[in-house]
Amino acid sequence: MHPALHSYIVEETTYSDSDVIIEEGSKGSWIYVILQGAAKVKKRTAKGMITIDTLREGEVFGEMVFLEGGKSPRSASIIAAEGKVKVGLLDTQKLIDDYEAVPSELRTLIGSLMFKLRNTTSKVCSIIVAK
Amino acid sequence: MRKDTGQTHGKKTLTFEKGDLIIKQGDYGISIYKILSGKVKIFRTYNGAEVPLATLERGSIIGEMAFLNKDKDVRSASARALEDSELEVWHPRDLVEKYAQTSVVLKIIIDQALSRLLRINRFMDQLAVKKRGGKRPPEGKEDPWSSTREFYRKKVDIVCQYKPALGVKGSSPPLTGRIKDISMGGLCLEVVPKNESATTHDVGDTFHIDTVLPNGQDLNVTAEIVSVTKRPGGVRFGMKFKELPDYYGTKKTLGFFLMPT
Repeated sequence: MHPALHSYIVEETTYSDSDVIIEEGSKGSWIYVILQGAAKVKKRTAKGMITIDTLREGEVFGEMVFLEGGKSPRSASIIAAEGKVKVGLLDTQKLIDDYEAVPSELRTLIGSLMFKLRNTTSKVCSIIVAK
Repeated sequence: MRKDTGQTHGKKTLTFEKGDLIIKQGDYGISIYKILSGKVKIFRTYNGAEVPLATLERGSIIGEMAFLNKDKDVRSASARALEDSELEVWHPRDLVEKYAQTSVVLKIIIDQALSRLLRINRFMDQLAVKKRGGKRPPEGKEDPWSSTREFYRKKVDIVCQYKPALGVKGSSPPLTGRIKDISMGGLCLEVVPKNESATTHDVGDTFHIDTVLPNGQDLNVTAEIVSVTKRPGGVRFGMKFKELPDYYGTKKTLGFFLMPT
């Protein structure tokens, strides 16, 4: 894990296997990092929950809503996998300060990246379901 | 074909006709496009088949992924006009500096999001191929830029050192020449006639060439002579690169150097 992330962690929580860390569709713009263990990124579909990614130590999640401006609901669920998972919550105020220092033209580019990540994730799901 | 229809504050408005390629997967470039009107298809090419990723309309941004990529990698997908479209394009040279100043943690988060998106896009390749056995790209309209890209040569005048690739044992010191133009495929080397007395310079001969590009990057290539032109004061050799070893980042170095600005 990148050392710079450590200084942003304000709270650590341990989840048991299959616990829901973030629920798809819910509100919230906190960003987390996996400190230990793994978590699955899952989306609801007509054919039930499907896993689209697995996150491991050092990986950040929950960033989409924050970097899009904090209005959209959570795009996917994050579920603890492979036993216990330790997760760190990143300092929202520090992140807001960082984000506000970013020039608006750059924010547009970052927002566009998030938009694509959200859209592509949905598209992958619909292709998997249609198969 | 694209047309220049205006320029303000380093931003240009380009008009693309239906079917025109705007960005090609695998190319180098960090210019950013914003759709002003029309429709643009984003797709990847995988095993010769088109894998559609998205259809973007007015207000959407294209090209930010290559800009945000810290590895300065190539374009990860192509963009084609689905109807006559107007796009605003700009080179984000001012933003490069600003992005460098962005908080380390924010950049880590963005890097990870970008890698995730690139991973999902590659996953789409697999899915598309499994699902339909792939779709051939539409016939007819060829990429209007490919020919210009292929033959695009940047005029330069840089000193280089070169020596035969198959050197004689205990080889002689390198010779000096000037590179007069360079492209992704080859270069034009000008040498003084007396160099020809040191070693043969015939069509088919291969040389190692070392130089420093005007942007300060080292360039080491191997090239074969394909044509010879005698001129007053010098001999010019048209040379074709044998290979551009990517592990030295040669393609990237040259790609970025040749990138139109």
